[in-house]
Amino acid sequence: MTSFWRVLKFAFQDLGRNFGLSFMTVFILVLMLLSVNVLWSVDVVTKEAVSIVKDQINVSLYFKAETSDKEVGEVEKYLKQFPEITELSVTTREEVLKSFEDRHKLSAEVLSALQELGDNPFGPTVVIKTREPQDYKKIMSALDVPEYENMIEAKSFEGHEEGIEKIQNITNRIERLGFGLSILFALIAFMIIFNTVRVAIYTQRIEISIKRLVGASSWFIRGPYLIESFIFTILSVAVTAGLIYLALHWLDPYLSLVFPNGFTLTNYYNSHILSLFGLQALAVLLLTVISSLLAMRRQLKV
Amino acid sequence: MIKLHGVTKVYSRESVGIRDINLHIKAGEFVSIVGQSGTGKTTLVRLLIAEERPTKGQIFVGDWDITNITATDIPFLRRQIGVIFQDFKLLPQKTVHENVSFALEVAGETSERIRKVVPQVLDVVGLGDKWHRYPKQLSGGEQQRVAIARSLVHRPKIIIADEPTGNLDSLNTVEIIEILKKINEFGTTVLLATHNREIVNELRRRVITLRNGEIVSDEREGKYRL
Repeated sequence: MTSFWRVLKFAFQDLGRNFGLSFMTVFILVLMLLSVNVLWSVDVVTKEAVSIVKDQINVSLYFKAETSDKEVGEVEKYLKQFPEITELSVTTREEVLKSFEDRHKLSAEVLSALQELGDNPFGPTVVIKTREPQDYKKIMSALDVPEYENMIEAKSFEGHEEGIEKIQNITNRIERLGFGLSILFALIAFMIIFNTVRVAIYTQRIEISIKRLVGASSWFIRGPYLIESFIFTILSVAVTAGLIYLALHWLDPYLSLVFPNGFTLTNYYNSHILSLFGLQALAVLLLTVISSLLAMRRQLKV
Repeated sequence: MIKLHGVTKVYSRESVGIRDINLHIKAGEFVSIVGQSGTGKTTLVRLLIAEERPTKGQIFVGDWDITNITATDIPFLRRQIGVIFQDFKLLPQKTVHENVSFALEVAGETSERIRKVVPQVLDVVGLGDKWHRYPKQLSGGEQQRVAIARSLVHRPKIIIADEPTGNLDSLNTVEIIEILKKINEFGTTVLLATHNREIVNELRRRVITLRNGEIVSDEREGKYRL
């Protein structure tokens, strides 16, 4: 226990007496964490934007007027087997007619033309939403069978097809770019943190060898550096979190203009605070500890 | 106290540290290892503190065969030997008091004992009033006295001094040698590696002369003969 307190004491002594180096290490860690958080935030905002657009896409199936409720029910049952479908709503012939009348209640000509037709000319409509835009194609081709083809008069998919494909392409590109950038940033972060810690330990190589020569055990020498890694991690994550929230305070009013659903990054960070900063703290801690141990391995061979 | 049986240290085909050294240093002796630069004095010191492993032969410190000492045991060996270097090897970020107490802290001594012993040892080397200074605020001689205090503080049975006066002027050299003599009078074995002729001649103690890594003479009350 005495040794533990001594190691703790040495850690704080080293931090204070090498203030410049400690400050630079924390500064670089904060820069790296800020870059990672910026990338992360861009990814979250993009995903939110894409999901809003995706959410506005649906496909309608317009049935022929003579299609019975039973036949529509069969199609509904068939479609519900597809896990890709997230929402499915059926509008009966009467509801379609009522909706049409409501829409055109100010247009007497349209209503009189409708009356002239006598019978309800509209067929039922099925509106579906899928998980991903590319799922629509699968659903549409599943309906391209003779037994259903004769019932369906039109599908709104034909009109949306191009738009859906564009969104799909954009989504795929953003995801690929985000993934590539994340890997690149992770690598850069790893290299910078690894080398920062190595440089910090390299500058103290003489001290390490002296400690070794006067009989300090490896753990007595490593201990302060490991505790310093822990302190660097806590400090850098705390400073990063503070700066991020400060930036969000300024950014969120602009985001609320773009996102009508009330999405803000502050809300996102608040609801993911533990997992986000916990994960970053864990990653930085692992990186600094591993870098310290690797960098010290050489110095401890005295 | 220290025994070497046929010890050879080869660094590479062209560079041999020491060759077939047989040596027995008894407890309480003051032994000077002399020889010109590159004759193996430092290699011998490094072997004794397990900074190097012998290529051949056996080394005993007390009853302990340190020939193939494990990395885990090295700190325990070093806590039993006090070592003084030419370049002092003080921790620049620690004060005089902290440098000396560090040797006790690593050995797990209680804070109470450290508080009691460190000022005593600093008084012995004449630095009782400079305990709060950092190494860079001291002269060369004072820094070497801190190093001696650090090597003494855990009451080792052996003190190994590798060219301890190499960076000092003649006045400080005399002071350091006087302190080493005093330490030896209290029963501590002192091994002094040096190429300073005046020191060796003035000491009139056992002198082992090295040339090209081999012992060429070993005299009970020797002189510097190179």
